[in-house]
Amino acid sequence: MKKFFRFSLVLIMALALFAPTASFAQETIRVGIILPISGGQASFGEIEKNSFDIAMEEINGSGGINGKKIEFLYEDDTGRPDVARSAAEKLINKDKVAMLGGGYGSSETMAIAGVAQQNRMPFLINTGSDDKITEKGWDFVFRLNPYASEYFKGLESFLTEVVKPQTCAILYENTNFGTSQSKAFATACERLGIKVVMTEGYEKGGVDFKPLLINVKKANPDLIYMISYLMDASLLMRQSMELQLNPKMFIGGGAGFTLPEFPDNAGKASEKVMSVTLWYQSLPYPGALDYFTKYKERFKKNTEYHGAEAYSAAYVIADVLKRAKSLSPDDIKEALLATDMKTCFGPVKFVKVGDKINQNVLPTYVMQWIDGKGELVWPKEGAGKPYVYPVNWQKEWK
Amino acid sequence: MGNTFNWRKIPWAKVLSVAFLVLFPLLVDSDYYRHLFIIALMWVVIGSSWNLLSGYTGQVSFGHAIFFGVGAYTAGLFTTKLSMSAWWGMLLGGPVSLLVGIVIGWICFRLRGPYFALATIAIGEIFRQVAENWISFTEGMQGILIIQTFRSKIPYYYLALGLAIACVGTIALVLRSKWGFYFIAIREDQDAAEALGISSYRYKSLSLMISSFFTGLAGAFYMNYMAFIDPQVVFSLHYISIMAILVGIIGGVGTIWGPAVGAFIMVLLQETFRSSFYGLVPRWVSEAHVLVFGLLVIFVIRYMANGMVGDWPKIQQLWSRPKAVSSPSVSGN
Amino acid sequence: MQELIQALVAGVLMGGIYALIGIGMTLIMGVMKIINLAHGELMMVAMYITYVLAQYFGLDPYFSLLIAMPSLFIIGVLIQKYLLNPLLKVDSILPENQVLMTVGVGMVLTEVMRFIFQADFKSVKTSYSSTAFYLGTISFNLPMVVAFGIAVALTICLFYFLLKTDVGKSIRATAQNKEAALLMGINAEKITVMTYGLGASLAAASGTLLLPIYYLFPSIGGPFTLKAFVITMLGGMGSTVGAIVGGVVLGVAESLGATYIKMGLKDSVAMFIFLLVLIFLPGGLKRLTKV
Repeated sequence: MKKFFRFSLVLIMALALFAPTASFAQETIRVGIILPISGGQASFGEIEKNSFDIAMEEINGSGGINGKKIEFLYEDDTGRPDVARSAAEKLINKDKVAMLGGGYGSSETMAIAGVAQQNRMPFLINTGSDDKITEKGWDFVFRLNPYASEYFKGLESFLTEVVKPQTCAILYENTNFGTSQSKAFATACERLGIKVVMTEGYEKGGVDFKPLLINVKKANPDLIYMISYLMDASLLMRQSMELQLNPKMFIGGGAGFTLPEFPDNAGKASEKVMSVTLWYQSLPYPGALDYFTKYKERFKKNTEYHGAEAYSAAYVIADVLKRAKSLSPDDIKEALLATDMKTCFGPVKFVKVGDKINQNVLPTYVMQWIDGKGELVWPKEGAGKPYVYPVNWQKEWK
Repeated sequence: MGNTFNWRKIPWAKVLSVAFLVLFPLLVDSDYYRHLFIIALMWVVIGSSWNLLSGYTGQVSFGHAIFFGVGAYTAGLFTTKLSMSAWWGMLLGGPVSLLVGIVIGWICFRLRGPYFALATIAIGEIFRQVAENWISFTEGMQGILIIQTFRSKIPYYYLALGLAIACVGTIALVLRSKWGFYFIAIREDQDAAEALGISSYRYKSLSLMISSFFTGLAGAFYMNYMAFIDPQVVFSLHYISIMAILVGIIGGVGTIWGPAVGAFIMVLLQETFRSSFYGLVPRWVSEAHVLVFGLLVIFVIRYMANGMVGDWPKIQQLWSRPKAVSSPSVSGN
Repeated sequence: MQELIQALVAGVLMGGIYALIGIGMTLIMGVMKIINLAHGELMMVAMYITYVLAQYFGLDPYFSLLIAMPSLFIIGVLIQKYLLNPLLKVDSILPENQVLMTVGVGMVLTEVMRFIFQADFKSVKTSYSSTAFYLGTISFNLPMVVAFGIAVALTICLFYFLLKTDVGKSIRATAQNKEAALLMGINAEKITVMTYGLGASLAAASGTLLLPIYYLFPSIGGPFTLKAFVITMLGGMGSTVGAIVGGVVLGVAESLGATYIKMGLKDSVAMFIFLLVLIFLPGGLKRLTKV
């Protein structure tokens, strides 16, 4: 009887696999959310997932979507674009979600957006910021957050009015986010008359950034602009302190520099470091401070712009699903296009800007780590605290 | 119910398996499962190619990501540099990868055993870093993104299946020829093979050429199917080079069908765990998806040195009579 | 000039830690003639032990050397005894089965840690993590200097062990000529078990020393495994002196490469040197110096 053994094993395996996935009556509307829940970017994924969770409970607590409950199905992209792609395929084809959300890393977001567009599945991005994502003419892809080359828009006036640097060094992590923002920043510097004396990428996860910083020290720029995720940001600042670099200002390009874990890891080296940011709890947006306190109460941790992006994306999704004529992808897309709402992350409206379509446009800000707390310092109107400039680094690092 | 394994009946199982694979997308109307099978079939190609060089010719490569990546980038560069379709990569990905293979063979075949393995790791890492940093040529970590040609999975499925059959078929044919004997002779004892007048460099190179050709094709297919590549994905030591080895080991090093079986086990096992048995068990189980695969690898190496296919008779005995112990000598397929 | 000196200092200090990783690997490779691809993962396990001790028991990382090293010795012994040695008796097609087993072991260690501690970064904050002292304008990172010092001290102890004790002599004999050693009545199984344990505990030491200056995540091991075998090949298999020189050479080469060529290609510099050594100087520095 052994002749069929091997074959029957294959058959059993196949049967076990294809056991019909029950498609019970839809009491809930499912939305797929793809985030890096594990892997090197897990700290960001965690903030975003927590924020989605808070929003989901609130939405369902106040009546849900026209009587139905909303359910976020999380998929972990582990920080790898190929995994993100498979996750998107699974959510669309197997879980039959109504639409997609999430998208953290630029590469992963790009991969998901490709799948979404091809399957004509609406996808609302809340973090992935590579400019190109909304430049492809993909009409099912919408982006809530500003794109990479807008990240430092709020910083520009700070540079021209306050710091007035002559020279600048740009250090960036060699990833999609890092390269695209560094390119954009270099162009902006040229426009502002700042000479870029050094642009260098590094491989994330390095132990020793000294070789890089030695060159920075030699070039002695007025401004050091760094685009890094959490641990690299901390090490870069710690080692800058050790080598006693002395620029007019250290500025981070968002990401790692705004996380509450940054001062934890960098210690006093984080003090007075600035970063561009997309959001701050004191901004006059409805519910901004409310969200911040709720998050802090529940998770005993601070949140920052990534969380706000996720939280308001959840509300945009709920709003869109409420307004959509049906749950068909085309109707949801139409509803997305008609979006005009105020969220805690700012007003949301998807418009065409230059080559980009379905792009939300928001101002960006500058924050500074003052006495271990992230404070909004620029523009002056919204600032929670006056900026500290000039900074005597030797004194800060004592 | 004799203990002897009836070899005559194997083709039956093989034919039925292939028939099942051919009919699969028609039987299962789910793009999700089709996707999993496409990935598994791609791994059949990579695993089998690795197996030809390492399992049959004895040159354990830790650098198959080089060929995979070169194939994928050949396809990708057609779109970014020449504004042509990435499908041209299916034509040229293999040959380009083969040329790279020749050069790497020229460097590495003077080294033996573990030294060869180490050199392939080193070259693989160099490829990855150069691809990451040579931004004007490869786009660096921004990667290359295209839009898939077909929305349906079916064309990709049959392409992958065709590739897998071509790869396994070619390897089976090669192994039946004179070359196959030379390969195995080199694996068993390189010096003795040389003494018999077999040019080890020449046959190792031939083996590497076939191996790199198919791995390159798999890479080009990946570009077309996944539509996004970056250096850390396609030149990955961990996710490509080492996975290729593990696929071979699980299925059976030095067996024709081993890597094919290994590829399906790897993809389906990982996905089963990743999705927490399709939602049947608590979600934390999904965290263990790579762990389970790792444990399986250790188990196979420890107790089934010749892999699932190589030690199949052993498994069968275990199945039918838990106490029966024998040590079947399995040599090759 | 100043940059050059600073780059050299950074390279040499890093080299001290590399050397520790390398010595463990060179012993294992010398005695067993296999590549231990789980080396970095063993180091990672030790780092988690140190992390837990520091986080939950407030133990200073340097003090946890006394716990991490013996723990890893035991883990190493178990791996060698129950997973690697049995393979010698199994008939298999590829002689590299032990190497492949270390791949599996490394993978499982990584995944177990990922399962327990999740994938996110952990770091141990010490008061001295970013303390530095200065000679002129050249900065010396304190924990790195301490790590370098401990690395040197451990190496001296190891030398004493290898030169003066019976087990040590047997290990050296096996590393130099396995067949001869077996003929002389050395119990190969016991020696391999000892060596793997020793190698693992040296990896543990390097991990523990690295923790105050770096951070920790489950898949941290891979790059360090690569560095370990680069050092081993550079210094020559089984040569402890070679490994020290190799470690420092690697540290300096990386530092200079990153400073003067390109930061992003730092690891390629190491790999390139490695290839050159493999091809043009098989046997490594040992061949030149006969140490």
